Amino acid sequence: MFDKIVEESKIKSPWLFHLNMGSCNGCDIEFVALLTPRYDVERFGIKLTGSPRHADIVVVSGPLTSQVKDRVLKVISQVPEPKVIVSLGSCPMSGNVFKGSYSVEAPVDRFFHVDVSVAGCPPKPEAMIDGILKAVEILKEKRGIK
Amino acid sequence: MGFPFIKYAIKNLFSKPSTERYPYIKKETPKEYRGKIKYYPDRCIACGLCIRVCSPAAITMIKGEKGEEGQKITMQFNLNSCTFCKMCADFCPRKSIELTNEYSMVATDKNELIVSGSFIKKNPPKKNINKTGGVQAV
Repeated sequence: MFDKIVEESKIKSPWLFHLNMGSCNGCDIEFVALLTPRYDVERFGIKLTGSPRHADIVVVSGPLTSQVKDRVLKVISQVPEPKVIVSLGSCPMSGNVFKGSYSVEAPVDRFFHVDVSVAGCPPKPEAMIDGILKAVEILKEKRGIK
Repeated sequence: MGFPFIKYAIKNLFSKPSTERYPYIKKETPKEYRGKIKYYPDRCIACGLCIRVCSPAAITMIKGEKGEEGQKITMQFNLNSCTFCKMCADFCPRKSIELTNEYSMVATDKNELIVSGSFIKKNPPKKNINKTGGVQAV
């Protein structure tokens, strides 16, 4: 009974972890704007967390540089299941203008499964809200709660 | 003078919140916003200028087999890889590419974000050679 309440309330308040994988900071600036009073993603109970071990949703941006690759994989493996990974912008899905560079591991879905991808360079904060709300739905499905 | 910010405090008590109620009230984009690509295959002439100008190589042209009527050409715009710089639309001589103001591009599958269109590029008219040696188009 108590566990059920905890499970259901976790859906109402998913915690977000933001991971920069060598991004140009365009997506990061737009993403941080979501947490400001103007877009205020906390309306949906979403909260930014500092630790991957507390996270439900991982927001990932950047083309995954070779230097940061091992660390990113380590951080993502620390996120408890069920987790949802959201990718921001074109970079994680293809490499964008950095495609083919010696220091970029481009399509990120070779290393881990990306559930929701938001296109744009950078995506508009409204598009990011859409993406995160979709991620919450997927999280609901993964937890098996209607 | 005792209360320095009292004017703003009272003003903020009665003003609207600054938060945008986004998913409930849709927001309009500014003019000339570069969003999702729209492609008009009927205007395209397959010159390949957009492919040449695209810096992230997001545009591919797939050439089909040559038939009686002409060649089937499919243009694919991979929005997973697009930078939305609008260079393709600017350079297109027939204005067959347009960047709309649709900004919400959310996909759970990679292939959802590929915009494509195909058309048949007609063969050049066949030429008849006269007895006098002149060339005449039919």
